[in-house]
Amino acid sequence: MKVTLNWLKQYVAFDWSPEELAERLTMIGIEVEGVQRLGGEFEGVVVAQVLTRDRHPNADRLSVCRVADGKGERQIVCGAQNFQAGDKVPLILPGASLPAKPGTPPFTIKVGKIRNVESHGMMCSPQELGLPEQIDGLLILSPDAVVGQPLAEYLGRPGSDVVYDLEITPNRPDLNSVVGIAREISAVTGNPLRLPEVTLPATTGAGSAESLVAVRLDAPELCPRYSARVIRGVKIGPSPAWLRQSLEKVGIRSISNVVDVTNFVMLEIGQPLHAFDYHLLTATNGGRPTIVVRRAADGEKFTTLDGKQRTLSPESLLIADEAKAIALAGVMGGQNTEINDQTVDVLLESAYFDPRNIRATAKKLELRTDASYRYERGADIGICDWASRRAAQLILQTAGGQLVDGVVDAFPQPPSHKQITLRHGKVNDLLGVRLSPTENVQHLQRLGLNVTIQNADEYCMVSIPSFRIDLKQEIDLIEEVARLHGINNIPATAPRAAKGFHPYDAVHDELADVRRILTGLGLNETQGQTLISDQSPGVVTTAPWTVLPLANPLSSDMNVLRPSLLPGLIATARHNLNRKNADLALFEIGRVFGQANGQAQEQRRLAFLLTGLRQAPFWSGTEREARCDIYDLKGLLEEFLEQFGFRGVAFSRRADSTALFLESATLQLGKNTLGEIGMLTPVVARANDLRDPVFLAELNLDLLLSLFRPSARSFKPLPAQPAIRRDVAMLVPEATTHEAVLAAVRQAKPANLESTQLFDVFRGKNVPPGQKSLAYAFTYRHAERTLTDADVNAAHEKLVELFKTNLQAVLREGGA
Amino acid sequence: MSFFEQIEPLKLAALAEFAAAPDFAALEQAKGAHLGPQGRFTALLKQLGTLPKEEKPAAGKLVNLAKVELEAALTARRTELELKAALPKDPTDFTLPGRRRPLGKLHPLTRVTEDIVRIFRKLGFAVADGPEIEDEYHCFDALNTPADHPARDSQDTFYLNLDRAVPGAAGAPPPQTGRMLLRTHTSSVQIRVMQGQPPPIRIIVPGRVYRRDNADATHNPTFQQIEGLYVDKHVTVGDLKGTVEFVFKELLGADVKLRFRPHYFSYTEPSFEIDFSSPMVRKMGKEWLELAGCGMVHPKVFANVGYDPEIWTGWAFGFGIERIAMLRYEINDIRLFYENDTRFLRQF
Repeated sequence: MKVTLNWLKQYVAFDWSPEELAERLTMIGIEVEGVQRLGGEFEGVVVAQVLTRDRHPNADRLSVCRVADGKGERQIVCGAQNFQAGDKVPLILPGASLPAKPGTPPFTIKVGKIRNVESHGMMCSPQELGLPEQIDGLLILSPDAVVGQPLAEYLGRPGSDVVYDLEITPNRPDLNSVVGIAREISAVTGNPLRLPEVTLPATTGAGSAESLVAVRLDAPELCPRYSARVIRGVKIGPSPAWLRQSLEKVGIRSISNVVDVTNFVMLEIGQPLHAFDYHLLTATNGGRPTIVVRRAADGEKFTTLDGKQRTLSPESLLIADEAKAIALAGVMGGQNTEINDQTVDVLLESAYFDPRNIRATAKKLELRTDASYRYERGADIGICDWASRRAAQLILQTAGGQLVDGVVDAFPQPPSHKQITLRHGKVNDLLGVRLSPTENVQHLQRLGLNVTIQNADEYCMVSIPSFRIDLKQEIDLIEEVARLHGINNIPATAPRAAKGFHPYDAVHDELADVRRILTGLGLNETQGQTLISDQSPGVVTTAPWTVLPLANPLSSDMNVLRPSLLPGLIATARHNLNRKNADLALFEIGRVFGQANGQAQEQRRLAFLLTGLRQAPFWSGTEREARCDIYDLKGLLEEFLEQFGFRGVAFSRRADSTALFLESATLQLGKNTLGEIGMLTPVVARANDLRDPVFLAELNLDLLLSLFRPSARSFKPLPAQPAIRRDVAMLVPEATTHEAVLAAVRQAKPANLESTQLFDVFRGKNVPPGQKSLAYAFTYRHAERTLTDADVNAAHEKLVELFKTNLQAVLREGGA
Repeated sequence: MSFFEQIEPLKLAALAEFAAAPDFAALEQAKGAHLGPQGRFTALLKQLGTLPKEEKPAAGKLVNLAKVELEAALTARRTELELKAALPKDPTDFTLPGRRRPLGKLHPLTRVTEDIVRIFRKLGFAVADGPEIEDEYHCFDALNTPADHPARDSQDTFYLNLDRAVPGAAGAPPPQTGRMLLRTHTSSVQIRVMQGQPPPIRIIVPGRVYRRDNADATHNPTFQQIEGLYVDKHVTVGDLKGTVEFVFKELLGADVKLRFRPHYFSYTEPSFEIDFSSPMVRKMGKEWLELAGCGMVHPKVFANVGYDPEIWTGWAFGFGIERIAMLRYEINDIRLFYENDTRFLRQF
């Protein structure tokens, strides 16, 4: 919504600078999004008359002139030759600046000496003023130019003005008008709002409105008020300059005097108006047309002013005569009855339409107009007649003609004014201020609200005018008081500390702990998109979940909610690899989504991605080129899980490859599946330009957080007794897993065994094909006494025997 | 030379030899030459017995002092030679890059969220969360958003295509209120929390929200907000201002100025937008920059969750986390947050 400074000043007095006005409007809730200065060209340039012209004592080509500027006389040194005493010329006064040429700073005129003679200003050529004329010398003005008149005025350039682009919040339709803004200024300044005086000619003899038009409301629920006036004998033509400029400054194109008036009044008071060519209405009985406000028929076709044919449904409201539709109510007029050069008689519509209906129609037809914008936010049902009379007055002024007596105003049920009680104590309680009842009442009255004081100390009753449809209950009035009192004047009170509570609070800390551990392990945190393509690799869900699609995606790149964090991590890897960031150690914590039996599901997960070099770049050592392998990721998971409080997580290999993993395993803790780990299948890796092997894992974080973990660590005394270590190196079949060895250990349960550590896995020299060599260190310790070899031997030998029988192990050198 | 006169020269000769010994072998040889069984100093010691009785104590004291000194010098020289032997052949180049163990970095949005959470927790706020998939009731109706408000439009809000539920089947959905959607603001959690627990309430809610905007430098369909809600008896606009000022001064620096402009949100009244001003904002060529929206919880919202608006009042406010992060780190493209380029991530 745009308004101008000069326009506002027609309705309310204020002496703020343009900047202060912007600040004031912003601070009462009308945000100024843009300020544009108009006109103000040729500032400091006036019409002047050369009184005398003498030769410069020190320069042949210069002259010294005495010049009248309207206020007095000045001495000017001038180099031009094309003028004489008596000529009227533009004079720029000291302190003013010549218009800047593009790319150069403006040139400011100063009092100075030219060849020892003082010059108090400069007479200008058209080129110097940036005017199109090409003259060798001064611009000679017409002899009847008024000396002292600003040049801009002489040239007929518009005076200076300031255009404000305002953001009007949707709850305040009354502010979509210049008067509405002026009313706010009036409330802030206390200066009265001055609405234009509307006086219409008394009986004109042009007949009565009732004899020329009837109005029938067939859908009063969508149009509770419709008024029609008739002006006869107008002459359609261009608008006068003031009208044209008023519209153009706020970005409305001038069309013709009558149409411009309807737009002007809409901008002025906020009430959309429409003018029909009266003779294009189809008259039936007795030559009097009837305006019918009705719903459209299903599939009814109608051509709007913009020349487009629209197909309508009964949800849309039409203005019609008895033969045809003539306007899409509240949105746009029809081509068949629009004002044209031949229009002589005008029917002026001023009506109120249901906001929801107008919004629905405008949205359905994708047709937004200044009228629909105002109607859909809520127009002022009480202002229809005033707006109609105001427009009639201006049409008579700008297009001539005669006003037909009276108005046909179909308004079966005028609503009563809403009454709201404001408790003064509540104002202070909610705002944290101490305002007196008098102050509250004064604020409300300044806004144009009618306050009927009922109990001076405790409360007052406020009658809400029809233009303030946003005021519905007490809190709305409290807000008005707050705005006018000034938010800056509400003292800030120090935060009051107290204990808040929410079950998630502890979860937030646990998540922070997860991040602390993982960043400590050298992983970088990522945050990926929630919305991904259903074609991404890894868009798989765990039964009974299925993928959850959007009903209205922006594109096929983002048409489902991520069912897993892995597709996002793969996309991240691809993005990085394409930018030569080849070494990645990443984790993400985020939610994944799915549906089960028509119900949306959410789950918090933790995912990992490793690829590229295992270690930070270094300049020496044989390991420096080593790439990550699956045990790097497994080690990270083991360390994370243990630090986070979980022991005994088993990794269970999946027999087959999956769509995402070449090889993978699930993580089991008791009966719970915590997640999975695996190596990305080369098919996906290749498709994503991933060259080094990529390792992925994903854990169900909600599940992890729900499982029991020891909340506090308990201290175990450090061992006081020495330990005995026994190493075992053995050949076992390839299929024998480390877990199988551990199971054998658990089965043997050797006395005093403290720990089992695998320290070598070897294939090659001296190891037959199909076998591998495993080397373990077994540490034995007793808590209270020093173990002897004899103590250990029995238990250890039993263990080794079990390896032989259960695992087909063959002991290698130095065993047992 | 008398016995006494011999002590000092012998000692000095031994000390000089010890000091001059270039390695352990030479040092051991020198030790043998002086302090060994056939050594010269040992020979002197042996003469001690030949002295007259009255000279013995003084001579013995002197000789012993010299011997202690020699042994100390020997030990010192040994340590010196040991260190010399331990030194690498070439001196270590301390300018060579070290073998790094890089610490992982938190995502910048996590960092900013954590900073905000920390500040609120100083005031006793608890962190809360809620589902990102919401129904229309919690996202709009309960927040007093009119039924035909444009925010509900499928142009602006993502709706979900859920399968039709099998009635009576396990896990059948509870009766929903309205269409299912991706929440457009964290304010929906206000409703869930107030429905779930009695006042007073003091929570903050960080989380992802969704708007149907094409991605560009300032938009991403997913972004993050943080919401604060405080409900108690006698809560005023003054409290809102005081808390907001505390939080943003902690977050953005004590030199920021804040201002509150009246605004409109359906779920608060009065409603305000908060602008801030700082040297950084002025460097951007502006006086004020919009920061957050806030207001007093609307009585209708309280009524919707069953709180009596005559007893309880409260405030809520919310703002975008990306916006704060972009201001703080001078990041000019929101998409960087979701691309996770490691050269970006490693900077925070």
